[in-house]
Amino acid sequence: MVSNGRMLCSSLITAPPSSSLSRTTPSYFCSFPSRRIIFTPRIGSSPAPAQAQAQPKEAKLWGGRFEEGVTDVVERFTESISFDKKLYKQDITGSRAHASMLAHQGLISEIDRDSILQGLDEIERRIENGEFNWRADREDVHMNIEAALTDLIGEPAKKLHTARSRNDQVLTDFRLWCRDAIDKILLSMKQLQVSLITLALNNQGLIVPGYTHLQRAQPVLLQHLLLAYVEEIERDAGRLVDCRARMNFCPLGACALAGTGLPIDRFMTSEALGFTAPLRNSIDAVSDRDFVLEFLSANAITAVHLSRLGEEWVLWASEEFGFITPSDSVSTGSSIMPQKKNPDPMELVRGKSARVIGDLVTLLTLCKGLPHAYNRDLQEDKEPVFDSVKTILGMLEVSAEFALKITFNWERIQKALPAGHLDATTLADYLVNKGVPFRTSHDIAGKSVALCTSKNCQLLDLSLDELRSINPVFEEDVYEFLGVENAIKKFVSYGSTGSACVASQLDYWLRKLEMK
Amino acid sequence: MGSIGTVCSSFITAPPSSSSLSRTTPSFCCAFPSRRIIIKPRMGPYPAQAQPKEAKLWGGRFEEGVTDVVERFTESISFDKQLYKQDIMGSRAHATMLAHQGLITVSDRDSILQGLDEIERRIENGEFNWRADREDVHMNIEAALTDLIGEPAKKLHTARSRNDQVLTDFRLWCRDAIDKILVSMKQLQVSLITLALNNEGLIVPGYTHLQRAQPVLLQHLLLAYVEEIERDAGRLVDCRARMNFCPLGACALAGTGLPIDRFMTSEALGFTAPLRNSIDAVSDRDFVLEFLSANAITAVHLSRLGEEWVLWASEEFGFITPSDSVSTGSSIMPQKKNPDPMELVRGKSARVIGDLVTLLTLCKGLPHAYNRDLQEDKEPVFDSVKTILGMLEVSAEFALKITFNRERIQKALPAGHLDATTLADYLVNKGVPFRTSHDIAGKSVALCTLKNCQLLDLSLDELRSINPVFEEDVYEFLGVENAIKKFVSYGSTGSACVASQLDYWLKKLEMK
Repeated sequence: MVSNGRMLCSSLITAPPSSSLSRTTPSYFCSFPSRRIIFTPRIGSSPAPAQAQAQPKEAKLWGGRFEEGVTDVVERFTESISFDKKLYKQDITGSRAHASMLAHQGLISEIDRDSILQGLDEIERRIENGEFNWRADREDVHMNIEAALTDLIGEPAKKLHTARSRNDQVLTDFRLWCRDAIDKILLSMKQLQVSLITLALNNQGLIVPGYTHLQRAQPVLLQHLLLAYVEEIERDAGRLVDCRARMNFCPLGACALAGTGLPIDRFMTSEALGFTAPLRNSIDAVSDRDFVLEFLSANAITAVHLSRLGEEWVLWASEEFGFITPSDSVSTGSSIMPQKKNPDPMELVRGKSARVIGDLVTLLTLCKGLPHAYNRDLQEDKEPVFDSVKTILGMLEVSAEFALKITFNWERIQKALPAGHLDATTLADYLVNKGVPFRTSHDIAGKSVALCTSKNCQLLDLSLDELRSINPVFEEDVYEFLGVENAIKKFVSYGSTGSACVASQLDYWLRKLEMK
Repeated sequence: MGSIGTVCSSFITAPPSSSSLSRTTPSFCCAFPSRRIIIKPRMGPYPAQAQPKEAKLWGGRFEEGVTDVVERFTESISFDKQLYKQDIMGSRAHATMLAHQGLITVSDRDSILQGLDEIERRIENGEFNWRADREDVHMNIEAALTDLIGEPAKKLHTARSRNDQVLTDFRLWCRDAIDKILVSMKQLQVSLITLALNNEGLIVPGYTHLQRAQPVLLQHLLLAYVEEIERDAGRLVDCRARMNFCPLGACALAGTGLPIDRFMTSEALGFTAPLRNSIDAVSDRDFVLEFLSANAITAVHLSRLGEEWVLWASEEFGFITPSDSVSTGSSIMPQKKNPDPMELVRGKSARVIGDLVTLLTLCKGLPHAYNRDLQEDKEPVFDSVKTILGMLEVSAEFALKITFNRERIQKALPAGHLDATTLADYLVNKGVPFRTSHDIAGKSVALCTLKNCQLLDLSLDELRSINPVFEEDVYEFLGVENAIKKFVSYGSTGSACVASQLDYWLKKLEMK
């Protein structure tokens, strides 16, 4: 048996397998050949191969009909305990609610219920103290916990699975886990918004170039630019809030796929677990993964937002831009170039967004073409979700940290600001105010810039006569529109970068984020 | 020019057959080498080379025009002309607002509005000459307007950039698309309910691991899809509400110093309000990212409807017979009859997924405000919408063209011991711990397998040989018809529960 596993492994890896590798590698290699394989040390003692063979495998809890047990190869290939043990807390929470309901409905006695609840408490304590022995032959988190409960309290444990299948059990666990994860992410999002607002407050009045096509376009207040991100993160949070509301329905009691003939009360367990209501259709309840598809979609959109925050700040930290200086505590050096100081955290924020996108694609593709009810494929739904959540939380956290550790180089920015004729569009607006058709105004302003380029000067430096040589409409008041400080004052439309508008936006967010 | 042919030949196997190919291929080859290249005949005559190129509307500062290579590479008119209706609608609202604010005269406004009407008429009659040297839908329409009415057309772009213009068009287009998809979704729900009504009382096997599990009413199974589609619709409704804010007036990225009224244009175009931050307004594409995410989830739902119905149509299942009008044959096997539409529903879901990935990856790493990359945002959206509408439509059609083979289903139903779990429930009701009940029921099935019979066929003595708890009333739990009656939990497949679910949907879909 073991030799088969070893031969399979040796054809895929270059190093001989360690003991834990030989037990867990096949399912990873076979399922996700392109995914990086990370082995987490098993919690508790790791049994040696010889010991595993010496210890008799116990009968499967579903084994009554079968006359022989599964082979080691099948068992290693199909186990999920290596990753789904992360759901232990939710699994125990779900079992507590289920046992209480069974007793309430008279399906188990109160004595049995109490026995089960005490046993579950003990198991949770052991897991959290690192004393629990997770076993691959017990396949998954549900069977590991139930078998341990049986070892601990005996016969009453066998009643826990009444009117329950692992199909509705795992989805109850998973919905609870995702709900908790969303709450954590929402908190991190708010923290990033607060950091961005703090950064904005610390840089009041600073004007920076705004870009289109990554070329200088029009002047904007830095505060305005930072608030754009705050707006985006707010919509990201809104998507998660909507997702959470749609997700918050209880599958427990749908059993394998068709419900049950036992007199259970699904509304009771739903309420005990903080769900809005039970799901209405049992096939849908155990079958669909749209709640995690939606969750990972929302995370992928968030990741894309953060990736461009990353890109902008990397640019701003460059010598060519020179807008920001990150502190030493959020920068890294080079192993070969002693002078370098790199904004690595934001580069990774940008890069990791692709991973979150990949997790979503993995999950969407997994669900593709699967008919209703449970198919074993769905066991592979958890790793992309765990990865997506972990990555998003990291991206949000590091971005919030970075925002509080950067200094804007006011002097350098102000000195560089005149380049690029950022006031040209405001000049065109001046002409429109004088009655010139916009298309003609655009042409006149463009020619004014061309003149500046040939003279190597700013629009502000052109004399009235020089301007009039382009078009006679110019008057002395044109100078109130030239220069970036004047241009900024002219923006008045709702949502623009004028000082009053930005102050209004800032006030809105200070109130909303309870920073005032 | 010859060098372009060289570049093209490295991507395609045949030399370009027409001048239109040489003009449009590079941007497709370079941008999406793996995407199928479809060259559509250009509308109207093709006089571009003979006709002198006109000055760019943004050309005042530049001393020379762009080269042909750059122009061909950067044009977007070949696909963004699909936005013409929304572009004209946006321009009408904008011109009206400019006049109201005193930025253009009422007379100029009227000229513009009449000109836009004429242009729309020409486009819809196929008389409009779309020109690549005019780059995109916005410039084509504005230039045509200038040709038509002269000087007043030059005022239309006051306090507007193509950046806020295109996003106004795009949000309007997506809003319309969502409304179309919602109608198709409801139509599919109605078709599924109709199919359910026509098959009352039919019991089919329910499967887990694609192995027979427990009996379910067909109606219950079909209603599961109705529930899923309802959530798909909910996501689109939420997306539409979040999308329904107006970028117009954000201009290039920083707003404007001209006294415009953004609330007026927003209201005229049916938006909830203007977007609050001008950089965000012209920059973000999260509204289409969310839209395509919702479409991808819908596509995944439909892909499994496809899979199930393909299985059901198989000889091995034999549950349904599609009519000739929704089946296809084989070019080599004269006897075959294939449920191709549902196979394609299953397969096309990958395309919708790919469109989403394309768009997500496109937005990856782009800083704020406009970057030319974003021009590539439209094709995945157009493809996603077209595909989803097709999938919904064909699924609704297929649902109305299938017949369930009741006799064959009923004859096949006993296989697989679908009543075994209900037997275990019987034992629990007798006080046996569930885990033990499971074991006893499993052993009963093993005995049936040995004897090649059904659970219902076991005598009381045979059952008691496994465990003495069995009594005469066990036979009320055996057989699929009896098993179905026993499901009573909320959302289960019992007759009363399913009737209740069905009633809910008949009222909700106004079919009653």
